[in-house]
Amino acid sequence: MSAVLPSVERPSAVTPALRAAAPAVRRARTLRIKTWIGLVCTAVVVLPVVMASLLPLPGPDTQDLSARRLPPLTDGHLFGTDQLGRDLLSRVLHGGQVSLLVGLLAVLTSGLIGLALGALAGYLGGWVDGVASRLAEAQMALPLLMMLLLVVALFGSSVPVITAVIPLAQWPEVFRLTRSLVLVERGKPYIDAARVLGLHRITILYRHVLPNVVRPVSLVVLLLLAQAVLLESALSYLGAGPERPFATWGRIVSDGQDYVTTSWWIATLPGLVIVLLVVGVNLLGDGLRDRSRRPRTSGGKA
Amino acid sequence: MLRYLGLRIGQGLLTVFLTVSTVFLLVRLAPGDPAAAYAGPTATTEDLERVRAQFGLDQPLLAQYGVFLRNLVQGDLGTSYSFQAPALDVVLGRLPYTTTLATSAILLTTVVAVPLGVWMARRADTMRELAGNMVTIAGQSMPDFWSGIMLLTLFAVAVPILPASGFATWGGLVLPTVTIAILQVALISRLVRREMVAALGTPYLSVARSRGFGEGTLIWRYAMANSAIPVLTALGTRFAAMLNGVVVVEVVFSWPGVGSLVVRALETRDYPLIQATVLVTAALAIGVQLLVDLAYPLLDPRVRLGKVASS
Repeated sequence: MSAVLPSVERPSAVTPALRAAAPAVRRARTLRIKTWIGLVCTAVVVLPVVMASLLPLPGPDTQDLSARRLPPLTDGHLFGTDQLGRDLLSRVLHGGQVSLLVGLLAVLTSGLIGLALGALAGYLGGWVDGVASRLAEAQMALPLLMMLLLVVALFGSSVPVITAVIPLAQWPEVFRLTRSLVLVERGKPYIDAARVLGLHRITILYRHVLPNVVRPVSLVVLLLLAQAVLLESALSYLGAGPERPFATWGRIVSDGQDYVTTSWWIATLPGLVIVLLVVGVNLLGDGLRDRSRRPRTSGGKA
Repeated sequence: MLRYLGLRIGQGLLTVFLTVSTVFLLVRLAPGDPAAAYAGPTATTEDLERVRAQFGLDQPLLAQYGVFLRNLVQGDLGTSYSFQAPALDVVLGRLPYTTTLATSAILLTTVVAVPLGVWMARRADTMRELAGNMVTIAGQSMPDFWSGIMLLTLFAVAVPILPASGFATWGGLVLPTVTIAILQVALISRLVRREMVAALGTPYLSVARSRGFGEGTLIWRYAMANSAIPVLTALGTRFAAMLNGVVVVEVVFSWPGVGSLVVRALETRDYPLIQATVLVTAALAIGVQLLVDLAYPLLDPRVRLGKVASS
C-alpha cells in the first residue's frame, strides 16, 4: 500500500552552493566548457573550408598584380591579398580543403593500422606481439621528420604520398593504446564464456573485443587529427607538401615569410587559422575523452 | 646490471645499423641524381659519367652497400659531395649547435613546465586551471614554424632587441629556444599535472599531510618523488627527439645545426652526408634514452634494471 506523500520542500544538507562546488560537478562543468569551445573553434574553420567553392570569393589562383599585398579588410578581401594579388582568404580556404582531406585520410589510416595491429598483438600475444611492439619501439628511435622528408623526396609530394607518410609517424600511438585496452579486455569473463561457446579466436576479437575498445581509440584518433594537420603544415612549410590542386597552409605561411616585415598578414593569418582549428580539435578531443572516462580513474593514468 | 647494459647497447647498435641501412637504400631509390646536382646544369653527359664514377655511383647497389659497410667499420662515412669534406666531420661540426639548442630548450621547458603542472594540479578542475589549460593547449596547437616567425617578427623586427638568425651571440639562442619550449611546455606540464593529481590523491600523501608536513614538502618531496619517473621519461624522449634535429625551427632561424644540414643534404642528394647525419643523430637519441633508463634506479630504489616486466 502506498500513501501519496505530500510534496514539501524539505531542507537538505546538500545546498545548491555545496553541490556546485563538488569536484564532480566542477569537472563536468570544465569538460562541458572545453567541449563547446572546441566545437565552436572547429566549426568556425571547418564550415567555411568545406563551403569554400560556394562562397562568393575570387578564385585562389586568380592573380591581380594591381592589387598586390592589400591589407586585410580592404574591399572584397577580408584577409587581404598576397604578393601576387591573390585573395588570401580564398587561398586559405581552398588550401584548407587539401589540408583537412590529407589530415582526415591520414588519421583514418593510422587508426586502422594501429587498431588492427594493436588488437592482434594484445589478443594473440607471443611473436605477433613481439614483432609489432619492437616495430613501434624502433619507430620512436627514428629521426621522424627527417624520414618523412626523405620519403616525400623519394615518391614526390602528392596528396596520396603525404597521406601515406603521416601514418608512419602516428600508428604507434594508436597501437599502444589498443594493445593495452585489449590486454585488459582479454582477461574478462565474457571472453572465457565466448571461448567456451567454441567461437574462433578471430571471431571473438572482431565481434566481442573490438566493439569494447573502439570508442576510446576513436577519441585518440581525433586528437591525432590535430597532430596530422600540424605535421602536414610543417612538411609543406619545408617545401614537401602537396602543391596540387591548391597550396596548403604551411606553404602559404612559408611564402608569406619573405614579406612579413612589410605585409604581416600573409604569414600571420593562415597560421592563426591552423591554430584555431588545432585548438578546437584538441579541446574537443580532450573534452570527449575525459567525459567518456569513469570519473574515479580520470585523475590517474590513462 | 652489466648484462643489461650490454644487451641495451647491442640493441641500440642494431637499431642504428638497421636505420642507416634503410636510409642507404631509400636515398638510392629516390629520383634525383646527385651527379647532376653536383656538376650543375651545364654539365655534359661525359661530365656526369665522370662524377658518378668519382663518387662510386656507377657501381651496382649491392657493391655500393658493401663498400659503405667496409668503410663504416673503419669509421669512414664517405666524403660529402657538396662540402668536399669527410661527412662525419661535417655533421660533428654542426652537432654542437643542435645540442646547445636542444639543451637550452629542455632546460627552459623543465623550469617552466614542472611548476606550471604543479600549479594546475593544485587547482584541479577550477576555472583558473581551465584558463591555464587553455594556454597550454594553445601552445600545443601552434605550428612551430609559425610561432617562430611570429616571435622573430615581434622581437627581431618590430622591437629589435634580439638577433633574427644564426648564432653570432648568445642572444641568438633565445628565440629558437622559446619557440621549441612553447610546444614542449604544453606537453610536459599536462603530464606533470596528471601525475601530480594522481599522487596527491594517494593515501601516503594523506598520511604525510596528517603528520603536519608543509604543502611545499608534501608536493616537492613526497608527491614529486613518485611523479619523477614518467616526467623524466617524457623529458628524455623529447630531448632525444630534439637531437634528431629540430629541423623546422633550425630552418626558420637559419640555425647552423644538424636539422638545417639535413634539409640541405636532401636537396643536393648528398648521400654520404644524409647517411652520416642519420647515423650520428640516431646514435645520440638512443644514447639519451639509455641514460634516462639508467637513471631510474636513482629515482626509485624499487626499480631493478633488466628485471622490469616487459609489458
